[in-house]
Amino acid sequence: MNKTLNRRDFIKIMNVTTTGVVIVASGITLTTFASVSEIPVTNKKRWGLLIDTNKLTETDIDGMVNACQQEQGWGAEIRSTASQKPGWIKKLKVKDKTTNKVSNLALMCQHCEEPPCVDVCPTNASMKREDGIVLVDKHLCIGCRYCMMACPYDARSFVHETLKNQKEHMPRGKGTVEACTMCVHRVDKGETPACVESVNSEAVIFGNLYDESSQINQTLRIVQSSQIRADLNLNTGVRYSGI
Amino acid sequence: MKHFLVVFLSLLVSSVFAYIDEYANLGEQASSIKASGKVFHESPSIIRKMHPELLRHKRDKTLRKGIRTNNYSLKGCVSCHANKNKTNNQYYSVDKKGQFCSDCHKKVGVSFDCFSCHRTTLREGLL
Repeated sequence: MNKTLNRRDFIKIMNVTTTGVVIVASGITLTTFASVSEIPVTNKKRWGLLIDTNKLTETDIDGMVNACQQEQGWGAEIRSTASQKPGWIKKLKVKDKTTNKVSNLALMCQHCEEPPCVDVCPTNASMKREDGIVLVDKHLCIGCRYCMMACPYDARSFVHETLKNQKEHMPRGKGTVEACTMCVHRVDKGETPACVESVNSEAVIFGNLYDESSQINQTLRIVQSSQIRADLNLNTGVRYSGI
Repeated sequence: MKHFLVVFLSLLVSSVFAYIDEYANLGEQASSIKASGKVFHESPSIIRKMHPELLRHKRDKTLRKGIRTNNYSLKGCVSCHANKNKTNNQYYSVDKKGQFCSDCHKKVGVSFDCFSCHRTTLREGLL
């Protein structure tokens, strides 16, 4: 067998090997990206919501509440009184007394940058993730409900009864405080929160507030938006336009 | 003296049997993995001893850092160690009497509080 390699053969072999390597490597990269991330969340991102109250109808809000209940498994508490029942997301009517203009709001945890609930928590159960999502670590929660009193948005609820058949991704139990998690289990998978998905129009936008190419960032640059109780300087992650 | 010998021997025999029923109720998928000869837990004795620490470490990683891998997740434990009721095709709760978690915990007299919040059964169609 002739051992000398002419130029054509060399190029041929090189081409074949390169193609092979590229195919295998891309396969490996794709599977790595497809699997769950092992990298901790960072403060390079800040998740937020923009709710356009002009576009958001009352049925949209009902749909959002339903989607939240379905996703997180709350709302079926039978032994709690009306004031004890959890409300992770609420329908709120705001009326301008002068013009009688009524706006409908969907109010949930505002995922503040400076959350008062985290400040008051004695056990560090109430906490903010690096990417701005405010959560309750129910392993540490002792049910003192300081956070519920500290929250200016009345966003948190307390579980008053023994629960069964919780959702797999959302452990809930008697004696702990809970609130909107911005569907953190979905966000970590690269999906959007359930309430955002339930609205057909673009009335609710979810995204990374820091990312200049994201829809939420670009919309916030154009439209006039506000934070509820902006006077408290909490820098909320949930913004409203049209109020 | 003979009485003592009888007591001693019966204790010895029962301690041997106590080890035999160690895997009494391993759970549906876990037993099939064991039967296939595949090794899931490198060292079962480490898991037996350390699972509270492993779970605690994992829960902080998941909740606070957003690392949602299957390694040492409680969801992962339940998905393998749950048993199915053959008559109504429903899963038994892992904390029910005679099931995987409660079986051992009852034996060693240690209470556990995972399932006052966490789901005790496998969600249908997960695996």
